[in-house]
Amino acid sequence: MTPKELRVGSVHDPATNETSIVQVFRYSAATWNTHRIHYDKDYATTEGYPGVLVQSHLHGAFLTKYCTDLAGRDATLRDLSLRVKKFAVAGESLTVVGTVSAVRPGEPGRALLDLTLVETRGSDDEVCVEGTATLDVPLTWIDEGAVV
Amino acid sequence: MAVDDALRASLQDEVGVEHVESLGEISATLTRRYAAAVGERDPLYHDVAYAQSLGYANVLAPPNFLPGVINWGEGAPYDRLREDGTEADTHLPGVPAKGVRVMGGGEEMHFTRPVVAGTVVARRTVLLDVNERETRQGAMLVARYADEYLDESGDELLRSVRTVLLR
Repeated sequence: MTPKELRVGSVHDPATNETSIVQVFRYSAATWNTHRIHYDKDYATTEGYPGVLVQSHLHGAFLTKYCTDLAGRDATLRDLSLRVKKFAVAGESLTVVGTVSAVRPGEPGRALLDLTLVETRGSDDEVCVEGTATLDVPLTWIDEGAVV
Repeated sequence: MAVDDALRASLQDEVGVEHVESLGEISATLTRRYAAAVGERDPLYHDVAYAQSLGYANVLAPPNFLPGVINWGEGAPYDRLREDGTEADTHLPGVPAKGVRVMGGGEEMHFTRPVVAGTVVARRTVLLDVNERETRQGAMLVARYADEYLDESGDELLRSVRTVLLR
């Protein structure tokens, strides 16, 4: 999916994030998240998990980055919603993919692009996160006639 | 403790109560560390000269930086940490110090304006509602908190509704 081709049903290239214990630790440190479930495997086991968990906000950061990478300098991320459906442990590969769900009128020369987002974990292809996003994009990105 | 009447009552007492907290100045070090932790290498988040070439006074914070930070202070003493390591006195009005497990369940964010490093930010938080669900592990409470992030002029930078799971 590239600018000038966007319409409902367009699928943007997937992006994979290779998580690690170091990344989960650094994210906890950068956000002052002291929850043991993100760095204490023994504690995580007492809650029924096989390892330390990727933070819900780190899942959100992966979705955010996916959208801002798509937006580049010409578009703007306006809204992002996400719901964590299944956990991911540090070390999982998490792949985000977005599909255009709607193209709406925006300010003059602009359009609002709605995306549905899915993040899956590589170990079993289970969906970890479902989300939606809205980007404010140049009208030149949109296939003629695609705005409804 | 798990979910009991005391937890239900503690949360219900907080529904609709507004809390305003100063988060202080958003330093470029904080935002750069956040970007590095995510794996975000866009120079807009790291390179001041690049950000200035686009008209910003300093580097930007990645869009979900503000709601991603759990605690903006120096951190609670160890005797004020819950069993799961989270801080008893901050962040989640209505949630008691001990005996409850806390997890993030999702978030809805609206990015009103870019957050430039150096901005002084305040957060207004309200517990919107609490609902109960039965899970395989027993009862779980789903609490929704509305957060609004404001700059020194009171202009909105970002607003969000975050879902917190308690059991």
